[in-house]
Amino acid sequence: MINKPLLSPLSWIIIAMLIALPFITSSSYILMVMVFVAIHGTLAIGMAILLEHAGIFSLAHPTWFGIGAYVAGILSVRQIVSPSFGVAFSAGVVALISYLIGAPILRLRGYYLACATFALLLIVEMSLGQLGSLTGGYEGLMGIPPLSVGTFTVKTDTQYYFLSWTLCLGCLWFLSNILNSRVGRAIRSFRDSEVASRSMGVDIPKYKLQIFVLTSVMAAIAGSIFCFYIRFTMPGMFGFPLLVELLTMIVIGGGRTLYGPLLGSFITIWLRELIHLYLGKIFPVMKAEVDAIFFGIIIVLILIFIPQGFAGGLERFFHSRSKAFARFQRAGK
Amino acid sequence: MNNSFFEVIGLCKNFGGIQALNDINFFIEKEKITSLIGPNGAGKTTFINLVTGIFPPDKGKIYFRGENIAGLSAHLIASKGIGRTFQLEELFLSMTVLENVMMGCHARTRSGLFRCGFRISSARKEENFIREEAMGHLQLVGLEKKFSHPISALPLGERKLVGIARALAMKPKLLLLDEPVGGLAAHEIEKLINLFFMLLEKGITLLIVEHNMPFVMSISHRIIVLDGGSKIGEGFPEEVKMNKKVIEAYLGKEVY
Amino acid sequence: MTLLSQLIQYTISGLTGGSIYAVIGICWSVVYLISRVLNFTTGEFVMLGGMLTWGFYRAGLGLVSAAMLAVSTSIVIAMALERIAIRPLRFATEMVYMMVTIASASVIKGVILLTWGSETRTFDAFIGTRMIQIFGASLTPQIICVISLLIVITIGLSLFFNLTLFGKALRACAINLRGARLIGIDVSKFRLFCFGLAGGLGAITGIFITPITFTGYNIGLLAGLKGLVAAIIGGWNMVGTVLAALTLGLLEGFGAGFISAGLKDIFALLVMIIFLILRTLHFSYKPKIRRA
Repeated sequence: MINKPLLSPLSWIIIAMLIALPFITSSSYILMVMVFVAIHGTLAIGMAILLEHAGIFSLAHPTWFGIGAYVAGILSVRQIVSPSFGVAFSAGVVALISYLIGAPILRLRGYYLACATFALLLIVEMSLGQLGSLTGGYEGLMGIPPLSVGTFTVKTDTQYYFLSWTLCLGCLWFLSNILNSRVGRAIRSFRDSEVASRSMGVDIPKYKLQIFVLTSVMAAIAGSIFCFYIRFTMPGMFGFPLLVELLTMIVIGGGRTLYGPLLGSFITIWLRELIHLYLGKIFPVMKAEVDAIFFGIIIVLILIFIPQGFAGGLERFFHSRSKAFARFQRAGK
Repeated sequence: MNNSFFEVIGLCKNFGGIQALNDINFFIEKEKITSLIGPNGAGKTTFINLVTGIFPPDKGKIYFRGENIAGLSAHLIASKGIGRTFQLEELFLSMTVLENVMMGCHARTRSGLFRCGFRISSARKEENFIREEAMGHLQLVGLEKKFSHPISALPLGERKLVGIARALAMKPKLLLLDEPVGGLAAHEIEKLINLFFMLLEKGITLLIVEHNMPFVMSISHRIIVLDGGSKIGEGFPEEVKMNKKVIEAYLGKEVY
Repeated sequence: MTLLSQLIQYTISGLTGGSIYAVIGICWSVVYLISRVLNFTTGEFVMLGGMLTWGFYRAGLGLVSAAMLAVSTSIVIAMALERIAIRPLRFATEMVYMMVTIASASVIKGVILLTWGSETRTFDAFIGTRMIQIFGASLTPQIICVISLLIVITIGLSLFFNLTLFGKALRACAINLRGARLIGIDVSKFRLFCFGLAGGLGAITGIFITPITFTGYNIGLLAGLKGLVAAIIGGWNMVGTVLAALTLGLLEGFGAGFISAGLKDIFALLVMIIFLILRTLHFSYKPKIRRA
């Protein structure tokens, strides 16, 4: 990914296919699943940047997603602000919270950061359940209106499809620009050698906090769109099962490439739908925890056999092929 | 205020009760090569780490171009014009050779998160500027053909060169080289000596930490000798060679 | 209830909770010290112990044999986990280990949910259910079992680590893994043993607490994390972990009694985050010290 032109022919083809999809199919089911792919893809891309590029072991990504969804949901259910302002508010609120929490918590490293952010994840999940009068408690927040901008209401699956994919690809574009720039090199540098990074003039805490807040805000925006799309939120949707799902996406796609988690999101979400479709009749309960069995097994298998993920594996495959081809050409001359 | 180019006064550092550096005083002349030598454990690398702000000194002052930089954090010191290389290279393994050198330009460039993210034209211009500069520094050390290689594909000698190019990209006034020739072959050392004299002509002051005595003797204008955290001698190469304490530190006390 | 009886009630329930966290904390540290793996399945074995015993008990076994069978099954599962999931990842980074154990935890949890559903389960207490009255506070006898379990495990493990050759070799591994390997200790075998030990101890804890707190497929995560809090605050050693766990338990007991029962879990996790952050203030930046 890095140092390659961002918009290779292949990515143009994929974008064209994404644009064409709603005109080819009228199945609202397919569009719905693709909306989920985009929203979870946005989350997974951000989390992969933290885990794999910046070396920040943050497991709190579902939390920012959840807070984003709840802030937008509560504000619009109570008709405090219109839904479109709800999106902006949730981004702002999460930016503030993640800044205030990130500043002290990013001083931790490795496992300790993972423990602290994992605790944060559970704390927020439980608090959302406990604050019943505000959030609707464990039963969830009902009656969220659809997203509307002025008098225009975003209602249909197609509209949400374009909205969520614009968000997702926008975030991808933004993050890829960053990773290939001065700021991105600084972010990647402290994972490799902290001492060298400091000696090159990189203010490490500043950049850690910046990328942490940035990806949290992206998660929050995805969360607010998610809540307007499914019109309902529940604390359980933003807990441990979502974390396992995001890890699956990152592991399947391979976090070292930027588009890998998006590919992972596509595979994971469709896999989940297939599981529900075919195994839903066999198993008595079909909760997120049951999906997590499959995801857990997939994570373990991939980390053992293809540790660089599908995207990384493909890239390595093409790389070795092109090298072999170049050798072949040289030999021919 | 202090008028010397670089001077340390009464520098001390303790690591959990072990006196790594004890009351070090010396100065470096501008646009000269000064060497810091001493047996293992003398505190040479600690000295470099203190100067570059990797950790703060317990006591003492470090004057660089008239300003006390002791206790400043590393990124601020870097932006004041002190570059360094590392004993164990410490290159960024996930990046290419060119990107490593581009990292050196970090302290001199300004575009922030949003300018880079939205590819504002000023950020793009800066990026091109960084890339060309980095290529220039790679040419200086003779690695311009390998700019797109990953670091892991380079042999030790070339890694050391990448480290030097990266430090040069910081446009330092003072360059600290931590064992630049450790583990290199004779012809590679020859090349480095030429490079160092070229840097000197460009107005860069060098402080070299080394073990390799012939190399140090041939290249240095002045030599400072550390042992057990204290300065035991300093002067021109010939003076140091004759200094009794230095000989003792390196060869052991003569037994009668 | 008088204030005195309230105080006694909360102290005892705090000590009970603390003992549980202490044993779980020991499970975390045993695995962490030997393999540098932060084993997120630790809590799931607490759940497994209780649920398997319930399952075997319902299938017609006696309580004691069901419990023993459950513990041995848990040990086998823990060892299998080490062999299947952890061992093939040689030289993996901390993050990969973390992902794998989180994934394994979710598998264990999901399988139990699928087999026995999401209801909470329980079985009879070991030594009767007649309440003991002390100054007006009423306590179940099971609490005595839990606290004595902690005492037995602590004494047993310290004897094992200090007196037997095997235990001493384990301590050597914990102090310096590479050094232990160099003097001919088979580290991989020890790692297997430690996973089994942690799984077994976790399962035993799970069995002991089930009559008091009940068990269900989803108790593992929180129970495990609170043990982790104790292990981290206790600095990964046994005495520290026990002290930290008992303090945490007491804080939780009083917090639940005087403030709010619903917030006590949140409170325990907040304690961990705050502790971790305070810890960085003291031991701020420590690079590897290399001196030439």
